[in-house]
Amino acid sequence: MLPILGPPNAVGGPGAGDEEPISLYSSHRPRLRGKAGTAASTVSTLLVVALVALVLTSPAAAAFRNGFLNVHQMWVALAGHPEEGILSVGKGFVLNIWLSLVCEAIVLVLALGLATLRLTRGPVLLPFRALAIAYTDFARGVPVILVMLWVGFGVPSLNLAEVSTQSPVVYAGFVLVFAYTAYVAEVYRAGLMSVPRAQVQAARSLGLSSRTTLSRVVLPQAVRNVLPALLNDFASLQKDTAIVSTLGVAEAVHSAQIAGGVEFNYSGFTIASLLFLAVTVPLTRYTDHVMARDRSRRLAGMPA
Amino acid sequence: MVTPAKPVLRAAKPVLRAAGVRKSFGALEVLRGVDLTISAHQVVCVIGSSGSGKSTLLRCCNLLERIDSGTIELFGHDLGDERIDEDLVRRHTGMVFQAFNLFPHLNVLDNVTLGPRRVLRLQRGLAEQRAQEMLARIGLADKAAEYPDRLSGGQQQRVAIVRSLAMGPRLLLLDEVTSALDPELVAEVLDLVGELAHQGMTMLIATHEMGFARDVANTVCFLEGGVIVESGPPERIFGDPTEQATRRFLQRIVNAGRL
Repeated sequence: MLPILGPPNAVGGPGAGDEEPISLYSSHRPRLRGKAGTAASTVSTLLVVALVALVLTSPAAAAFRNGFLNVHQMWVALAGHPEEGILSVGKGFVLNIWLSLVCEAIVLVLALGLATLRLTRGPVLLPFRALAIAYTDFARGVPVILVMLWVGFGVPSLNLAEVSTQSPVVYAGFVLVFAYTAYVAEVYRAGLMSVPRAQVQAARSLGLSSRTTLSRVVLPQAVRNVLPALLNDFASLQKDTAIVSTLGVAEAVHSAQIAGGVEFNYSGFTIASLLFLAVTVPLTRYTDHVMARDRSRRLAGMPA
Repeated sequence: MVTPAKPVLRAAKPVLRAAGVRKSFGALEVLRGVDLTISAHQVVCVIGSSGSGKSTLLRCCNLLERIDSGTIELFGHDLGDERIDEDLVRRHTGMVFQAFNLFPHLNVLDNVTLGPRRVLRLQRGLAEQRAQEMLARIGLADKAAEYPDRLSGGQQQRVAIVRSLAMGPRLLLLDEVTSALDPELVAEVLDLVGELAHQGMTMLIATHEMGFARDVANTVCFLEGGVIVESGPPERIFGDPTEQATRRFLQRIVNAGRL
């Protein structure tokens, strides 16, 4: 048998290291710890505070504060001012929320169907799979705002009896569902594919039907694996309800735009941003929380 | 004069009868004419090196794989018949896997009750009561609320066996159920399987545990190159095999210190 190890004391050979001393010390500068670390973090914090103070006290900052952070203007935009034609950003935002919730519910169902379709083998479904792929490519490849303009202005111009006479909110909802179903279906698909085949085989070996296997074994694991991505897409959908403003629907962004035009002050956009943040930030925190809870629950072995 | 008819002792239909079973994956022919019969309450162990087709043979018996030619009769029904419902085949045929394959999102109790509830349509309370009883019998009553990743490999595999048993199978297929276990955990699983054999469970077992096969099997089949080279009672297969191939295989096992 050929020797596996090289000659003695060669690199990788038996006894290597006898000759050349080996250094085990890091060549990197050691990380600051203890008092030195505290001092370093204090200095860097002070630097950042000084920088922020410098920006806030510059002459431009006053204009910035008045134009964007004017509390009175924020209030006017938030509450609305009917006599001056200013729509309420607050009321508009309720529409954003409502629209995102309805769309998300529809998207979750449609996307699951689409993902399942793309993963189901069967000759009958072949043309549907091809269609599904074409749709996914299109919906993910074209900007949402383009589809919004296309449908929102295009469809009414077709003068079709039922289709062309809907409210812009309906067109907007349709476009959001159209766009996000493609994204969410891909998330589902990744989730479904992340569940090992052995899980399916174990379930089928118990006599579970393919439908029950999907709903009780595969889907729960799939959703768990992609829950952060799903909630991400939901936050994204929630934000993209702002694009509905292009159709002149009185939602938060369109209302803020009107307020800005009338008052020549853009604090309305700030309040609209804060409203969106008020929803998306807790949503992302909640995502983190769900992930952590799921992990610790499984590790702690508590009942579901 | 009328004499009462003598009770006729008919040979019970075999639980499983395979004849000339062939199965290929692409160009690779894994099974090349396997014949096998298992009677009720019999334990048949299939031995053979890795890649000899042991797992494939088992997976053909509950239709996880479809055979290319030959026949497999299960409980007297030809599995090749197009009217066969594979879900019904599997309901009556338990399978335990090398890698346990417990459902990680369900706790132990839910793993065991999923089949009874969703397939047998048992009420939750009844299914859980039965599951608890079975778990208690294998000493895992206190693990009912645990999730699988909190259990040792041996515990997971015993739960997987109970999960299969909860369906009340007439035949149990065990696919190298100790191969993924740390050596010190093998015994607890083999003890449970031995206990099932003792209680009359009909089993087809693919295994590398020769000592276990010798103790528990009624029949040992040596599978090599996709055919059963030799089969017979364990004393003969391990003590005095007639085929050269069997001798060579067993010699390798002995050399590796595994028999």
